[in-house]
Amino acid sequence: MAKWFGDVLVELARQDPRICGVSCDCWGFLGALAAAFPERAVEIGIAEQNLIGVAAGLAARGKTPFAIGMNPFVTMRCFEQIRTDVGYGCRNVKVVGGYGGGIGYAGWGCTHHAMEEMALMRLVPTMTVVMPADAYETEMATRAAATTEGPFYISLSGATMAFMPPEARRTFHVGKAVTLREGSDVTIVAVGPTLPDAMTAAEILTRKGVSARVLNMHTVKPADREAILAAARQTRLIVTIEEHTVIGGLGGAVGEVLAEAGAGTPLKRLGLQDVFACMVGRYEDVRERFGISANAVVEAVMRQA
Amino acid sequence: MARDERIAELEEKARRIRAHVVRIAGMSDCHTGGSLSIADMLAGLYFHTLRVDPGLPGWEGRDYFILSKGHCVPALDAALAMRGFFPEDALTTHLQLDSIISGHACARVTPGIDVSTGSLGHGLSIGVGLALGVRMDGAANRVFVMIGDGELQEGSNWEAAMAGAHHKLEGLVAIVDRNMYQTGPTEEMMALEPLADKWRAFGWATRVIDGHDMAQIVETLDALPFEKGRPSAIVSRTEKGHGVSMSIHQHMNRFDEAQTATMLAELGQGGGEGGRN
Repeated sequence: MAKWFGDVLVELARQDPRICGVSCDCWGFLGALAAAFPERAVEIGIAEQNLIGVAAGLAARGKTPFAIGMNPFVTMRCFEQIRTDVGYGCRNVKVVGGYGGGIGYAGWGCTHHAMEEMALMRLVPTMTVVMPADAYETEMATRAAATTEGPFYISLSGATMAFMPPEARRTFHVGKAVTLREGSDVTIVAVGPTLPDAMTAAEILTRKGVSARVLNMHTVKPADREAILAAARQTRLIVTIEEHTVIGGLGGAVGEVLAEAGAGTPLKRLGLQDVFACMVGRYEDVRERFGISANAVVEAVMRQA
Repeated sequence: MARDERIAELEEKARRIRAHVVRIAGMSDCHTGGSLSIADMLAGLYFHTLRVDPGLPGWEGRDYFILSKGHCVPALDAALAMRGFFPEDALTTHLQLDSIISGHACARVTPGIDVSTGSLGHGLSIGVGLALGVRMDGAANRVFVMIGDGELQEGSNWEAAMAGAHHKLEGLVAIVDRNMYQTGPTEEMMALEPLADKWRAFGWATRVIDGHDMAQIVETLDALPFEKGRPSAIVSRTEKGHGVSMSIHQHMNRFDEAQTATMLAELGQGGGEGGRN
């Protein structure tokens, strides 16, 4: 995804002289920009606080900087710089998590889990939070970030090269969930790396006689209120699944919409249940043990049925 | 104008900045000590060095000034008002409902402030970004960042110091207000010495000056950039609360009416020019 994103960025930079890139030891994302516009690609080294401060300064000069780091560190280490220098400062900074989204690093240790990235970024006033599923959504999200004034967080690391079906391309809009599969009994809401789990679960559920809708909630903030409330009206249960703590991320966002609308539709949030996913093992092992899998979705649905 | 006259005029500006700080402390709690220690440098910057246009605060050609020690905004607000960014009367509304005079530097409410600060250790990184942006534009704006000495205990400053030198940001100037106090004596709480050597080791062309000697301030600011291809650091040795006896080594003051009058009299600003009694 680094090269793909880098190529999109160069194309955008050709159209808009304000666009530039700042890297926190993630030069792979900026190599193409550096080749085309050496002055507009800046390496900061392993220093997230300075990365975001520098990006805020570039924005104060009227630039549109994309600041790239590893998901867990670029959201946590410099949270105050994002909140204060970007949010409070009204700076047009695009924060990009390039590696290690969700629990992608699995058994490599919880230091490298970005299990709070969506929650933290949602907390910053005016911040848009997007987690693309694949190369197509990455390109669209990057274009949207470049052309929309205001702070953006894009979590790239869960994206695969191709996930979205061809008919679902052409339909990307920030803040609009994509219905990947129609269904009338339950709704599964997923984002980024949990979308394949949601699709697999929906197929299994169909064989069990349960019609499952699948929503790709690529924009976690602002959440697509309309799609969530339609799911609440038209299906009997909503299951969210995320590689994230269930507090404050996708499940949190969906829960807030449901509760405030008085929807009353039951919500089951799959993800890390206020725990660290601390174990050694493969990615699949960690997900299975902590209930982030197609099986976990099927079980949650059948228990409610 | 003769050089001596020019220095005397800047010294008078500094006294007036201090008088405004005292008056603010007469109306509400005020971070007096650190505001008073930077008064001379601010007078030098805003009335001698900085290229700014009060009628056009967003002028693209302006020099940028970031008060990283954002709690000392009373002195900055005084300098901005005196420089014409807004009426000096506004200073009397410190902390009042919907005032443009905030408790920490706020770019959203105060004309002439480019960067909101208050949380320590943020300003220098933003300064590095501004200087990089200026270079991308092929422009010559300079970027001044004023940092408290206690503030340098925040590690983020040293990330920014590293980057400023690595990227050879000649137009970037860090001014350390070395007043030796935070809530207590800095060298006892977490020592910074040898401070100038630290900046030199990080690659900055560094000078140490008496931050209350206007002739030295002017000479130093006129000498910027100190070296080609390097950012400049000024360690400005000051006294916390300088010029106002009740504020010496104090972090905050709230003066009653009699105290305010006495402190203004010390500054020779009792009821005269610019005074409001």
